[in-house]
Amino acid sequence: MRTIELTLNGQRTRVAVEPHETLLWVLRHRLAATEVKSGCERGDCGACAVILDGKAVNSCLALAVQAEAKSVVTVRGLGSPEAPHPLQAAFIELGAAQCGICIPGMLVTLYAFLRDTPRAGRAEIREAIGGNLCRCTGYQKIVDAAESAARRLLAQGTDGARRT
Amino acid sequence: MDLPSPRGFRVVGARAPRADARDKVFGLLRYADDLALGGMLHAKVVRATRPSARIRKIDAARAGALPGVRCVLTARDVPHNVLFSDVPGQTTQVGPLRARTQVLADDVVRYLGEAVALVAAETEEAAEEATRLVAVEYEDLPGVFEPEAAMRPEAPQLEPTGNVISRWKVRQGDVEAGFREADVVVAHTYRTGLIDHAFIEPEAGVGWLDENGVVTLRVATQVIEHFRDVANVLGLPHSRVRIIAPYIGGGFGGKEDVTVEVFLGLLVWKTRRPVRLCYSREESILSPTKRHPFIMKYRHGARRDGTLVALEVELISDAGAYAYLSPLTLLYAMVHAAGPYRIPHVRIDGVSVLTNNPPTSAFRGFGSAQPAFAYESQMDELARALGLDPLELRERNYLRKGERLASGQALETAVLLPETARRAWAALGPPGPPSGLGKRVGRGLASALTSYGRIVWLHDWSSAWVELQMDGTVLIRTGVPDIGGGQAAALVQIAAELLGVAQEDIAIHIGDSALTPLAGTTTATRQLYMSGSAVHKAAAELRATLVLQAAELFQVSPEAIELADGTARVRDNPGRASSFKELAAACARSHRPRSAFAVYQAPAGQVMDFETGQGKVFPDFTFGTQAAEVEVDEDTGEVQVRRVAACYDVGRAINRNSVEGQIEGGVAMGLGYALLEEDQVAGGVTLTPNLMTYLIPTALDVPDVTAIVLESGEGMGPWGARGIGEPAIVPTAPAIANAVRDAVGVRVTRLPITPERLWRARQESGAR
Amino acid sequence: MLLPRFEYRHATSLLQGMTLLAESPEARALAGGTDLLVDLRERRQQARLLVDISQLAELRGIDAADGEVRLGGGVTVGELLASPLVAAALPALHRAARAFADFLTRNKATLGGNLANASPGADLVVPLLALDARVVLAAPAGERTLALDAFVLGPRRTALGAGELVRAVLVPRAEGRQSFHKLGLKRGGPIAVVSVATRVRLDAGGRVTGAAVALGAVAPRPVRAVEAEASLLGAPLTPDRIARAADLAAAAARPIDDVRGSRAYRQAMVRALVARDLAAAQTEGG
Repeated sequence: MRTIELTLNGQRTRVAVEPHETLLWVLRHRLAATEVKSGCERGDCGACAVILDGKAVNSCLALAVQAEAKSVVTVRGLGSPEAPHPLQAAFIELGAAQCGICIPGMLVTLYAFLRDTPRAGRAEIREAIGGNLCRCTGYQKIVDAAESAARRLLAQGTDGARRT
Repeated sequence: MDLPSPRGFRVVGARAPRADARDKVFGLLRYADDLALGGMLHAKVVRATRPSARIRKIDAARAGALPGVRCVLTARDVPHNVLFSDVPGQTTQVGPLRARTQVLADDVVRYLGEAVALVAAETEEAAEEATRLVAVEYEDLPGVFEPEAAMRPEAPQLEPTGNVISRWKVRQGDVEAGFREADVVVAHTYRTGLIDHAFIEPEAGVGWLDENGVVTLRVATQVIEHFRDVANVLGLPHSRVRIIAPYIGGGFGGKEDVTVEVFLGLLVWKTRRPVRLCYSREESILSPTKRHPFIMKYRHGARRDGTLVALEVELISDAGAYAYLSPLTLLYAMVHAAGPYRIPHVRIDGVSVLTNNPPTSAFRGFGSAQPAFAYESQMDELARALGLDPLELRERNYLRKGERLASGQALETAVLLPETARRAWAALGPPGPPSGLGKRVGRGLASALTSYGRIVWLHDWSSAWVELQMDGTVLIRTGVPDIGGGQAAALVQIAAELLGVAQEDIAIHIGDSALTPLAGTTTATRQLYMSGSAVHKAAAELRATLVLQAAELFQVSPEAIELADGTARVRDNPGRASSFKELAAACARSHRPRSAFAVYQAPAGQVMDFETGQGKVFPDFTFGTQAAEVEVDEDTGEVQVRRVAACYDVGRAINRNSVEGQIEGGVAMGLGYALLEEDQVAGGVTLTPNLMTYLIPTALDVPDVTAIVLESGEGMGPWGARGIGEPAIVPTAPAIANAVRDAVGVRVTRLPITPERLWRARQESGAR
Repeated sequence: MLLPRFEYRHATSLLQGMTLLAESPEARALAGGTDLLVDLRERRQQARLLVDISQLAELRGIDAADGEVRLGGGVTVGELLASPLVAAALPALHRAARAFADFLTRNKATLGGNLANASPGADLVVPLLALDARVVLAAPAGERTLALDAFVLGPRRTALGAGELVRAVLVPRAEGRQSFHKLGLKRGGPIAVVSVATRVRLDAGGRVTGAAVALGAVAPRPVRAVEAEASLLGAPLTPDRIARAADLAAAAARPIDDVRGSRAYRQAMVRALVARDLAAAQTEGG
């Protein structure tokens, strides 16, 4: 067991980890970051997506030790009820969440994608979330909300996140 | 007293953001596996590695001795090792529908993945290691893996009473005479496969013993009434088990039967410690119940002008290794088998058969989706044989309000099928050209009826408590599990409409078998109808009390009072208004109850005649049509769905976003059913154990869906609402199958229509 | 299901990484982890030590020099996809990167990892094979360069020796029209049922002066359909010659039956996809 330091949603954090523990597992079981969901543990579903060192990745395929001295951002780092990210606001307004279990991963992926490709159109948005499986919504309102948020972010000229 | 009328809705029908959406998008909502308690043990299930075998020996010694392991349980540790699959939650006997399974396999395992032992350990790692150390000695027994083979007398028998666990029939008219009248007969056999619910949240839960010694289980379940099943297994009084359902990450019928509840209950009761159990994805695909594969032999007869005259159907469903809800699913299939069409002479026979395949049970549609694939494919084939337009053929035969299904049930509410068909078809817009060489575009549609609400002789009921709190906000308590379809939010909206209060000022406690009045299961597309009606009833009662109180306060007659904007006021005299907080205090002073508890009982019906398959079975149906445009790659057989339009009469849309969301999600699931999904099992062994091999639609597979919502106002739910959850998935696969047929001239009668299946079908038909 | 226990070392230099790998027989290089961690979780591979090479600068970079494009072994698939140089010079590879898994996986999976994993349908190997790529292997003792065809030896088998890593992939800038097509069962990130990459060069008279046809997921490793290629040389791409080449390509395939498709279908798809690509080359000109 080793103690590593990382930045989680903008806060410096220390946590004990074993080499074989995935970032997903440590987030959920040692850091109480249960907003990161576990859907398949093998990179097939995207529910566990986080931003690691600036890139959106499946946290089930990263080792916790690989987050040492790095920044990890989850959906909670994008915004909060007091200061929602435009993506979060759009998801609420347009009814993009049904059961909601895919939503944290979906939002993280969309945040990272729109940050890098702010002028993305509908087809590109669909491609960006091709690895985020949703069983409830048929993706329709998720794509609608992403488009709406993209327009707003472009107008704002920021990526909108509060704590990265 | 004037209740809000459809024309004057304030919040019903709006695109109201759901309260639960907030916690979901901010990552604040705790699902079943998001709770960690001090001293919590981690549980794992040891599962059978053989599809049909006798258990010779279970040696748990090494597992039990592993440091950190607190207990290893096998069948003999289970006080009452039986689980019944009575219709979940109901309390009346149903005789031929009773089915049983074991909690832990005792003598024999009947499918690969069946639970054999339970382990609880201090760490997840120790629990996993322990499952590997539990040594089970199996003696292979002959197995049977095809339902038709299982029906033969020489097949291995899974039950002493035989493999056929359910037979139903429907008889109307004289089918031989009917076929003699037919100018054209179309007959095909259709097949559908084993389908996984694939909710993104696997089965999971945490259990603990509370301070009163009550076994408390917080689990992802659609049925909090399973507390009775757990109590029965443990030999405890029902009040010693409590089930709490947090918001659930998808159900679709896969969290309807008992999954983790009884395992957690056993381990909590044995260890007296909190216990966590979360299935892996592989476990979720392997073991809990699935959608029934069906073999459907259809024979339609029609006259030259398109009038249907005769229908003969044989249905065979693969019940898998245990009955679960297979008999009931087959009954649903029987009633839906003829589709929404007028057919004077009908003979339908159905059997459900045990095999050593994974067990099958409830799955969105519950036996109405498979027949729809068959009957809507048939309708297009008939149209072709008769040289008629597929829409015209359907319009000639759609049942109308007042007419009867082949099973004798009269359609007592509006049947807007012709309009749904025309609107869905028109919404596809002008046909698009192929995107390149070697591509062909085709269009198809499919109409369906799907029941909502429980079978009428099961005496369904739901209850709710609505209270005006002293701070002027409103609280609803009802035992509804919310599986993502906005079940809770709809109830808030209903109460908001009736009480004139903002939705933000209404809180709702759901899903607690000890503390919320029971509302019945979140299954059978019944919640909006049943708990919606219960909340409507309670809120209306509370409203009446508040109106009386306000009338007293202002010394006017009750008719002069209106509730709006969180106040009670005298109509046309806004100066005379009282906040709800003041009203609550006034009620308290006058000894007036500030709450109402209501039980809504669905109109009960008689048990149908099982000999003839005649009688009223369901309270009502939802009717809809979906239309699809596809593009087929002629060389590879790949099918891309380019557009889908879906039109439904939902009776009344309580929350427009939720209704559309159900339709859009249903289309996606139906698309998966049509083209992608099959749990491939060979010799009882699952070959598609994860989401890399079991394919569900991605955002690139599902096109934009146009959802068109009609509101006849004639449903059974609040303000005439119907259910939409299951109906949304039913027409998609046949619409796509019909579109494929239109595109390349070949019909695939087996789902999923994979590129290879389509390619083979074209090869066999001699196409280029 | 948890990963099995292993030790972890973070390589701070290429030499250190290779030394660690060479010293321990049960050590594995961890780059993107998108294959390795899944294999470990499902007990298809074992490892006592993971050597994390994902941060090594020596393995990064996409540049062109001496008529070749040099791609670092540690370059992610996402970086390949975003590279204008790759899009312009190696469109078949760009297409394969686009068809590779999904956005999240592409952010992690690496070129070197895809090659070293040596799946029969490895998405990046197939176009690189058609483009006559070479692999630069680095070891503590020095570097060596192999043809890609000599590097990927069979399913999950490569020529990597103890302590060796894929340092870079060298792809000659060649003329001719390139294509890559992956046939999968769904649109979002499928595993290949069959994949085909081609490069066709035509002279001013429309005659084929160079042809490469690489096939994926239809043999123990991605293969070049050499007879099909040879059959095309020196003549225009007529429908007859295209059909003959497609037949030869199908004959070069040795597919199996599995959950994704049957042997017969795969063989037929090789024929269909090769024919289609060659027809497109004819229309668009090489």
